[in-house]
Amino acid sequence: MQILYFALALFLLLNLVAGMWRVLRGPTAADRMLAAQLFGTTSVAVLLVLAQAMNRGALRDVALVFALLAAVTAVAFVRRAWPDREAKHDTE
Amino acid sequence: MTVHTVVGRQGLEFTPREYLRSGCLRAVLFALMWWTLTDGVMDSWLVGTPVILFATLASVVLLPPFSWSLLGLVRFVPFFLWRSLYGGVDVARRALQPRLPISPGLLDYRWRLPPGLPQVFMANIVSLLPGTLSVELGANCLQVHVLDERKDFLSELEKVEQRVAAIFGISLPLSRGGE
Amino acid sequence: MTPSDLLSAVLLIAGAAFFLAGTLGLLRFPDVYTRLHALTKADNVGLGLVVAGLAMQAESLAGAGKLLLIWLLVLLAGASVAHLVAAAARQRGIKLWRR
Repeated sequence: MQILYFALALFLLLNLVAGMWRVLRGPTAADRMLAAQLFGTTSVAVLLVLAQAMNRGALRDVALVFALLAAVTAVAFVRRAWPDREAKHDTE
Repeated sequence: MTVHTVVGRQGLEFTPREYLRSGCLRAVLFALMWWTLTDGVMDSWLVGTPVILFATLASVVLLPPFSWSLLGLVRFVPFFLWRSLYGGVDVARRALQPRLPISPGLLDYRWRLPPGLPQVFMANIVSLLPGTLSVELGANCLQVHVLDERKDFLSELEKVEQRVAAIFGISLPLSRGGE
Repeated sequence: MTPSDLLSAVLLIAGAAFFLAGTLGLLRFPDVYTRLHALTKADNVGLGLVVAGLAMQAESLAGAGKLLLIWLLVLLAGASVAHLVAAAARQRGIKLWRR
């Protein structure tokens, strides 16, 4: 099981990295905001798998905090940090 | 299981008894949450008890009691799990196929649910079900982005709305048929 | 490997497959709305399966309950964030991709 856990964690981490390509590339600010969604689920999965693999229960609490923070970050971004008009991409 | 009508049950029309009942229920729920969060360690209840009491107080103040039905909730869980699993399979299938079989569109779904918690709940559920994503929660309509316009989402959404209504113990006006 | 280990492994691998599909959708789908579909649904199912697989290995009922709680929280957060981003994108006039 141990090998499976670590392989799984690595695989999920690669998923996260691949997803970051979209986040960095955009093209709109909304696409960048998908980072919150991506981290909200994938990093939680990675942490949970690692918690099991290394027998560190505390990592589950970290996962819990990540899940909470992802939601808060998204709200903060949509409300505050996102400029009112998209500058040049994809606007109608 | 009785089904209450929602008319006239919005706002502050709840009796102290209803507040007490809902408060007790929520305290039990928070206690259960505390128990799982602390992995059942007994020492933690010294901190846990005041936290639970405070959380209950805050929750009753922020979200007044609302009518709901246990049967509706119990029936909703397997429906939701199954449909959201199918939602994942559906979107995975589309993402994996080389020719990308999607043809997105927007549709407006006219609410039958009353505003407030039931509408917000449904808007959230819709985003997790196959092929639908709630975009705008309007006063009269829920704007839904669909992955495949050719599918009949209206009857699907009506079914979901019916299920959500059952959780909140609301009886909906009859289905309008296609619109 | 016990039968429960095997089932747990199957669930974990199935979960990982959904994460892969979600990432593929994120990279391949043409606009932010369709990407939200992919990410929200596939990743939530993926996490659900991973959580189910791990819960089978949990030492205590409380441990399994915590995993379930985390999944529910992510579900709620995921659905709300998807709606928020979609609503904001629409308000700011980001065009819908149509075939």
